[in-house]
Amino acid sequence: MAVGLRLSSELVAGVLGGAALGWGFDRLLSTSPWGLIVFLLLGFTAGVINVMRTAGVMAKQNERL
Amino acid sequence: MAADPIQQFALKKIFTIGHIGGQEIAFTNSSAYMFLSVAVISLLMLGTGRQLIPGRMQSVAELSYEFVASTIRSTAGSEGMKFFPLVFSLFMFICISNVIGVIPYTFTVSSHLIVTFGLAVLVFLIVVFYGFYKNGLKFFKLFVPSGVPLYILPLVVVVEVISFFLKPVSHSVRLFANMLAGHIALKVFASFVGMLGAIGFIGWVGAVLPLGLTVALTALELLVAFLQAYVFTILTCIYLNDAIHPGH
Repeated sequence: MAVGLRLSSELVAGVLGGAALGWGFDRLLSTSPWGLIVFLLLGFTAGVINVMRTAGVMAKQNERL
Repeated sequence: MAADPIQQFALKKIFTIGHIGGQEIAFTNSSAYMFLSVAVISLLMLGTGRQLIPGRMQSVAELSYEFVASTIRSTAGSEGMKFFPLVFSLFMFICISNVIGVIPYTFTVSSHLIVTFGLAVLVFLIVVFYGFYKNGLKFFKLFVPSGVPLYILPLVVVVEVISFFLKPVSHSVRLFANMLAGHIALKVFASFVGMLGAIGFIGWVGAVLPLGLTVALTALELLVAFLQAYVFTILTCIYLNDAIHPGH
């Protein structure tokens, strides 16, 4: 359960973070709804990447240093 | 009798400290419980004596030190011990405030997203600044994977940057969501007891079930309170380890 919760929170954080970023972008530059659409999708992608990193399927970011 | 399960998270102003830029800075029940947690921790760590043969409370203080120290050593190596004050403060604050929150009629500090997010951002900023201090401008290589075709690189870099900045979000949402969901579930089951009891005798018999569940859930919440503090701590250690030992 702990692992499942960790992975799901990673994905939820990705989508929510992307949505928040897009919403803020739209508010600042009044480009509604394009910022929300683009950043929601980018956030979803980043969330999936984070889930894969947490699960150990993909290499971690800090291995590039 | 049917209590609102969200009521327990309401912030109540106790007194006003001052105004900053037209915004009221209030001392709320949340701040009061934060001070209470710090007071309990101080009492535990400072007020339990330094005998050679430890008493009961001194054993708890020493055990908590050993526990956090061994967690840091096993995840971030002995170099990670320079961050011991930070990690120990985080662990004790979250653990004690969560355990206080399990007591009925109290307020849980970490059931508010802004509190856990503040703690996660603190960790994130320390990791970023320490990473820059340690690696210099090479730190930016974090965002540029090697062997990616040039035409797709901008998109990949944007996704990598977003995924890096999502770390504190998932770090804080995990603790917040666990505490929030647990306390709401506890309150919902507890309010079933009152609702069934209002029916009459048959209701009292039926109320035994949710009452037993409430007791069981309280025990589970006590475990979650400790476990989530531990998870927050161990993730802090993992992030610190990424900054201390890059390329592992």
